[in-house]
Parts: sequence; C-alpha cells; structure tokens
Amino acid sequence: MVGVAVVGVVVAIAASLLHDGLSSRATPSKLEAVIARNAHRLAIPSDARSTQNPVVASEEDLRAARLHFADHCATCHDNDGSGQTLYGKGLYPHPPDLRLPETQNLTDGELFWIIENGVRFTGMPAFASAGDHNGHGGALDSWKLVHFIRHLPHLTAAERVEMERYNPKGPDERAEEQEENNFLNGVTPKAKPESQNQHPR
Amino acid sequence: MKIRSISIALLLALAAGSVFAHGNKVHVVGTVEKTNSDSLVVKTKEGKSVEVKLAASTVYFERINNQDKPAKLADLAEGDFVVIHATPKDAGLEAGQVRFSRPVAPKAAAPAATKPKS
Repeated sequence: MVGVAVVGVVVAIAASLLHDGLSSRATPSKLEAVIARNAHRLAIPSDARSTQNPVVASEEDLRAARLHFADHCATCHDNDGSGQTLYGKGLYPHPPDLRLPETQNLTDGELFWIIENGVRFTGMPAFASAGDHNGHGGALDSWKLVHFIRHLPHLTAAERVEMERYNPKGPDERAEEQEENNFLNGVTPKAKPESQNQHPR
Repeated sequence: MKIRSISIALLLALAAGSVFAHGNKVHVVGTVEKTNSDSLVVKTKEGKSVEVKLAASTVYFERINNQDKPAKLADLAEGDFVVIHATPKDAGLEAGQVRFSRPVAPKAAAPAATKPKS
C-alpha cells in the first residue's frame, strides 16, 4: 500500500514536471494539492494541533492583529486573505485563500503552528524566530493573528481600507500618498524662489 | 505678484488632478464634476472627464484638518477635491475608496492702509 502511494507521488511529480517544468507560474494538480495538504497536517504535532487559543481577543487586540497582518502578511496573502497579490500569484504553491474551508477548518493550534513554523517547500516563512525583532512580538502576536484569520471571511470594507494604509510601501508609493494628502489638504506646492539678483542703484 | 501667480497656477494644476496607477489599482485625482447615485464623474488635470462606478462596498472619507473622517456619498459635492482608489471592472473603474475635501475659498486681499486726513 505504501509502495503504491510512493509510486503515485512519483508519477504525479513526474507528470507535473513534464507538463510545467519548474515554473512557479504553474498550479499544483488536485492530487498534488491533496497529498501536500494532508502530509502537512500529519506533520503538525498532535499536541500542537489540539492547543486552544489562550488569548481572549479584545477589540484592541483584533485591530492590532489586523494591522500586523497588513504589515507582515498581506504582501502574499492580500489584506482580505485571498492570496491575489503579485507575490501570491507567483509562488508555488499559491498562498491558499484563507477565507475558504481548507483554512477555516484548521484548528487554532494548527493555524498557530503554521504561523510559528512556516510551511516547508512553500513561500510561507516561520515567524517563531522573529521574537521581538522586526515587529513580530512572538507567540502572543501569533495567537492574535489566529483570531484575525477567523475574522477574515467577515472583513469589512472600512477595515480593509485601514489595512491598506499599513501595507508596506516603496518610496514612490509613499510619495504618491503624500502628494494625494497635500492635494486634499489644499497645500500649495512650493514655488521656486526668484533670483537673488540685486539691481544696481 | 510673480510668486503669487506661479503659486496660483501650480495650485490650479494640482487641483485639476491626474490619474495614476500601480499594481491593479488606479488612482483618479481631480475635482468632482458630477455626482450620481451609482457613479462619480471626475475632471482630471488633463481636462478629461473620468467616470468611476460606486459599489455598496465603496468607503468614503472627508479630509478635515489633515485627518480622514468617515463620510457618506451624500456628503460629496460638485467642485470638491477628490482622490479615488479604484480597480478596473467590466471595462470601467469601480471605486474602493473615495477621499474628498472642500476647496478653501481664497482669502480676499486686505485693502491698502490709508493715512487718516489730519
């Protein structure tokens, strides 16, 4: 039975490679996706899987988690968890749509474990080592993020707009944002100073 | 006088606005030309009229004192400065976020001081 499964996996991989090469633009076959997802679930320790979320999230915690997601996660997952971003669409496999049952049916412990440990052979990094550096405050932040992931199917338009302000931006985008704020504030652009030539008496 | 003329010209140019785009977002910047129940028409710097559809999910903010306050479509008026973040949809644009402000009327020039007759 194990041999059949192994042969099946090898055949699936060979078929994928022959069809798509090693391009990240390809989409995993359904068989590959099912195998990978189940293998990953089995790899999560059972005690981690059954751990309950110790954080009783306040509105403040939910907002903090939402803005943390915007800053750290939305580059790949998008603010709404859809994964429809430039980077998300270019990863193999693509980040899952976090609003769908495949993610929402995971336990709190599984979601926490994935955030802390990442998913090997994918673009999902492990954040456990980040600690207090780089803005990820350790396990507490990860548990709060679990609450936010549960909230994703109910994300409001206003929440999403707020998240857009916390998405990482490059210099051009920041300059554009400042220009738009100046425009709405009615700020007059600075005019170039006139020449300092003095006329002789 | 020259500085004032340049400043007014630059302010008008800025006020007329323009259209930017990055990623799959389109930014429409200009003055409100017309408001409808399901769309806004914006006049941009190039003098073009751009229609942007409104959706039930569109959010509105009025910029007051350098802060964005939640607002409604009914608060928007023709002539307002507007910045719309839109996404292409069905051969047009759909607004995700509309930020607007009321133009401040320029201050009238103070009358020249005159010496009282002795």
